[in-house]
Amino acid sequence: MFVLLIAVEGAFQTRASIADTFNREAEMQRAQIDLQEMLRLQINEENSLRGFVLTRDPFYVQQYALASAQWAAKETAVHNALVDERLGTALQMLDEYDTVQTRWRREIALPLLTRPRSELVELDKKNKAFVDYQAQTADGVRAILVVTSAALVRSTQDQINRSSYMRAFWLLIFGLLAILFNAYGSRLTRELHEERMVSDVLQEAFRSAHVPVPNCEIGARYLSASARLRVGGDVYDVFLLSEKRALLLIADVSGKGVDAAVLTAFVRFTVRSIALRHVDPGNILTEFNETFGRTVDNPSLFITMLVGVLDCSDGSFTYASAGHDSAYVRRSTSVESLPVTGPLVGVIEATYGTKSVQLAVGDALVLATDGLTEARARSGELLGERAAMDLIGAAPREAQALADYLAVHVRKRSGNRPTDDLALLVVRYAGEDGGDA
Amino acid sequence: MRELARPVAAVLLALLCALPAAAACQLRAHERVVLFGAGDDPGVLLWDSRFRLRAYHAASFDEAQDMIARALLVTAGTRAIVIACLPQFVQPRYGLTLDDAVEVRILTGPLHGRSGWVLGSDARR
Repeated sequence: MFVLLIAVEGAFQTRASIADTFNREAEMQRAQIDLQEMLRLQINEENSLRGFVLTRDPFYVQQYALASAQWAAKETAVHNALVDERLGTALQMLDEYDTVQTRWRREIALPLLTRPRSELVELDKKNKAFVDYQAQTADGVRAILVVTSAALVRSTQDQINRSSYMRAFWLLIFGLLAILFNAYGSRLTRELHEERMVSDVLQEAFRSAHVPVPNCEIGARYLSASARLRVGGDVYDVFLLSEKRALLLIADVSGKGVDAAVLTAFVRFTVRSIALRHVDPGNILTEFNETFGRTVDNPSLFITMLVGVLDCSDGSFTYASAGHDSAYVRRSTSVESLPVTGPLVGVIEATYGTKSVQLAVGDALVLATDGLTEARARSGELLGERAAMDLIGAAPREAQALADYLAVHVRKRSGNRPTDDLALLVVRYAGEDGGDA
Repeated sequence: MRELARPVAAVLLALLCALPAAAACQLRAHERVVLFGAGDDPGVLLWDSRFRLRAYHAASFDEAQDMIARALLVTAGTRAIVIACLPQFVQPRYGLTLDDAVEVRILTGPLHGRSGWVLGSDARR
């Protein structure tokens, strides 16, 4: 944009400069014509004088006076043009021309107008000297005018050429800049696209997921505190350990965004791996706590999590909870909280206990992260555990409908701007019949 | 007017430098010519010396006025015969080109039989 402004401003300046040179050149041309006119009027004066001497007719005196006045006017015009153009030498010549003409009038013309004589031989000779001299000075002035005029024409041509070169130069610069900016823009767009692709792939990898579990109905929702990311520090997982047993996991990693999401992937796959070797959830958590301490250097990171194993054949659920208190069982007429069985993961070395609950047909495990109980209203008030349990009790019975109900409530409560991630996993035991209880 | 000499000389020198190389004399001995002034006054001044002819054309106005008494004014159209010619001998005070100096003998008119020097540009074939 700056380059374009310079180019436009330069074009205006060049145009003004060329116009000025054209005006000066035109003035020089006019001065040459005026000079030629002075010579013609000088001859008119001389002829009028001869006419008067030969005829004594006053008409010739009038013609003489008229030519003299016109000569003076032309002389002034040429004088001004030479002053404007600062042609000192030509000015001196013109002054000399003027002086000689004045002397001619005084020494030749005036005596003849006063006492006309027919004998003109000596006067003719003297007149010849005047005329020759004036012609020479006029030639000198004309030569300078011609040279100056030619120089101005050359100058004009040079300015036009220079202007064309400069215009081409600025256009070239502008074009190059446009190409550079376009290339830079394309590169940025490409890099952005690549980043987006990487981000999408990572989000897909880190996303919580579940598989169908026999005799169970599963519902899940995930709300991210980040508007652009579909992942965060909360995670849930449903993994079949055998035909009858399913591993259920819900965890909340401290922190938010991509960094926390990377850690959730570690949690999911490490717990799956440990669960394939251990039957007891307490042992799973104990080993995971050890692994976490050895793997993650950052002492400020910790995890609340619940790991449970659901026996799909009879609805028994054993679990271990590392400080994860947002886990509930919804019965047909009540909602129970699942107590924790050990400290947060990543804080201290600990042995985690295991607890069991029995699910009846139609009962549902509602595993959430603290995004539920700590859902903040606009006034800053937290939802709290009691209200969360009331909410679960009032929710629809179907697993996905229940999860959606809770998510909608949290989103509405926070004015569509949740301050924390929320993971919801609902597993409703349907029994062998798969029917509704 | 003498103070004009230097700048004028500079202008003339610059102009003369741009001119092509000098040519030979325009007229040859025994050629018959008609005298006719090239300037605004067609009369021709006939000088008794080629040096005075040259000095007249290079002189200031006052000098020229003093010298004019040594010249004869020949009526335009007077016939003459060329006796000698000196190429580019005369440098006009403000003129652009050098002029030849031509010695002629007058063949017609009141000055019949007189010899003298005129400008080459005033003698026409």
